[in-house]
Amino acid sequence: MIRHLFKLIWNRKRSNFLLMTEIFFCFLVLFAVLSLVVYNVRNYNKPLGFEHEHVWLLTMRPDTDSTSLNRQTLEQILQRAKGFQEIESVALTSSNAPFAFSQMSNNITYGQKKVEANQYEVQDDFDMVMRVKVSKGRWFGPADNASHHDPIVINQALKQQLFGEEEAVGKLIPLNDSTNYQVVGVTDYFRAGSEFEAEQPSFFSRINLQEDPNAFWNEVLIRVKPGMGVAFEEKMVKEFAGTAKGWAMEVATLEKMRQNKAKMAKVPLIALGIICGFLIFNVALGLFGVLWYNISRRNSEIGLRRALGASSGQVYRQFIGEVLVLATFGLLLGVAFAVQFPLLQVFQVESGVYFIALGIAVATIYLLVVGCAFYPSRQAAAIHPAMALHEE
Amino acid sequence: MITLKNIEKVYQTKTIETVALHNVNLHIPQGEFVSIMGPSGCGKSTLLNIMGLLDEPTDGLVEIAGTPIGRYKDKELAQLRNQKIGFVFQSYHLINDLSVLDNVELPLLYRNGVSAAETRRLALTALEKVGLSARTKHYPSQLSGGQRQRVAIARALIGQPEIILADEPTGNLDSVMGEEIMNILLQLNKTDGTTIVMVTHDENMAHKTERLIRFFDGQQVSDAKTNAYEFQKV
Ligand SMILES: Nc1ncnc2c1ncn2[C@@H]1O[C@H](COP(=O)(O)OP(=O)(O)OP(=O)(O)O)[C@@H](O)[C@H]1O
Ligand SMILES: [Mg+2]
Repeated sequence: MIRHLFKLIWNRKRSNFLLMTEIFFCFLVLFAVLSLVVYNVRNYNKPLGFEHEHVWLLTMRPDTDSTSLNRQTLEQILQRAKGFQEIESVALTSSNAPFAFSQMSNNITYGQKKVEANQYEVQDDFDMVMRVKVSKGRWFGPADNASHHDPIVINQALKQQLFGEEEAVGKLIPLNDSTNYQVVGVTDYFRAGSEFEAEQPSFFSRINLQEDPNAFWNEVLIRVKPGMGVAFEEKMVKEFAGTAKGWAMEVATLEKMRQNKAKMAKVPLIALGIICGFLIFNVALGLFGVLWYNISRRNSEIGLRRALGASSGQVYRQFIGEVLVLATFGLLLGVAFAVQFPLLQVFQVESGVYFIALGIAVATIYLLVVGCAFYPSRQAAAIHPAMALHEE
Repeated sequence: MITLKNIEKVYQTKTIETVALHNVNLHIPQGEFVSIMGPSGCGKSTLLNIMGLLDEPTDGLVEIAGTPIGRYKDKELAQLRNQKIGFVFQSYHLINDLSVLDNVELPLLYRNGVSAAETRRLALTALEKVGLSARTKHYPSQLSGGQRQRVAIARALIGQPEIILADEPTGNLDSVMGEEIMNILLQLNKTDGTTIVMVTHDENMAHKTERLIRFFDGQQVSDAKTNAYEFQKV
């Protein structure tokens, strides 16, 4: 019977061409949207590599350019912050703090390999503030003051790309003519951009206030004790403002920043989802219409098949089978197209994402066509054979 | 082979009620070639549909090949049709998107346990019987009316049914082609002993069969052996 259906659909390929193309395009759009969704969901389910609850980001803007004075004030603020009972730890950071809309990257070269990596400039206590886990080696600290090299901690992704399976800790990476970075530690997973982004190669370099008396950083990450809210925030900012007269200060919780980033990622997904939904709805309507029309056109064929010994159940299954075969033709073409993405590695996305999206898209299309064929096929099965043969 | 007792058939639509058959009693023994005549609308097709288990009588009893048709399920009726009955229609009812061979194979698609190879072999044999071995790869649109009807006959006989029901099989054909079809049916009746019931408007055709039943307004008005019968038996 299956062979018969394939033959039937194949011989009717001209009249079924439109339907097959429709299914083909519907599949492609679905595949694209699902790939994106699967990519995002998979990222979302991976660890971030840090704990953002109870961490605040304080952004400061001095009112003058006088750097040495500003530096003094900055150090006073850090001192005050450490004095608060309610604060567990603080660390200066470059502007690309976790979930911030800011990026900073640098080329890291090791031997023949050159990798563009996110650079996070952070103070020694960053690992405590963000609760970053170092799986190999150690985090940097005052002990590194004596070193000839600038200590860095790298994440797994960078380690893999630079060193592969080799030991990373202790490796030197030239920074400029006179200085080298030295890898002192490797973290687990670490990705700070957004929950929906994949992990990118990243490294942490050390902010050493002693080394550079004029350097200035605008942002401080502050880990407060659980339960600290707006009241403490006001108290803290007031006290800082007393120290830094005229400075603009702004506090954001990392939780709030996370939500903003998530919104940014979700909006295009939702928009695409809606467009895709409309498209599918349209295709479904078209499919339903065509199937409905086909069945009324094929009355005499139905009558004939019944006369030759088809039960009404067999007629029903034939019509469902036909759309499945039809969908299969459209899908074969679509899948041949879709597998090029993982095969050619068009984007830097794991193949698994595509295969999951492909599987879901195929299943969805089959469900869709069966859904559309359900009612027309039942009508076809209910046609009275004598009546169907009578019309002509 | 076919027995009808007190058959009534009433078509009920919203506005009108049509009595298509009234008090029909018939017995057609195995191996008989019967023709049915009557004016248009007298219930011939309705009668054939009831014999072919495509339609249920409003009242009365039907017995096919020794099996009384009672409250059968759709599936069982379909199997009975498939195994016992072959149909030939005035308008051929071929599937245009299937080749001659595929059209002929159709009935065996609905029979369990027949392999694809066996089906093919039987289809070729059936086509040989109707003299169309050279046209197996053609499509219905590439054939003449007579050839199409021969394909339909091959399709009717592939399943080796005991009964063939033919509703005006020569109705769309000129006399030469009609003659050809008639000869095939006669041959089938003679060599395979297939019981054939044929509706026709053509007196000549009817007189080639053994028995002629005339209908008028849903009722049998005459039922007699023909001369052909006398000829053959002498
Ligand atoms: N499905 C139906 N619904 C209502 N009435 C019907 C239906 N089928 C047939 N009839 C009526 O039943 C009567 C017998 O119809 P039938 O088709 O059996 O005639 P027929 O003898 O085959 O005619 P013809 O020689 O024109 O083919 C006709 O009056 C017809 O209008
Ligand atoms: Mg008729």
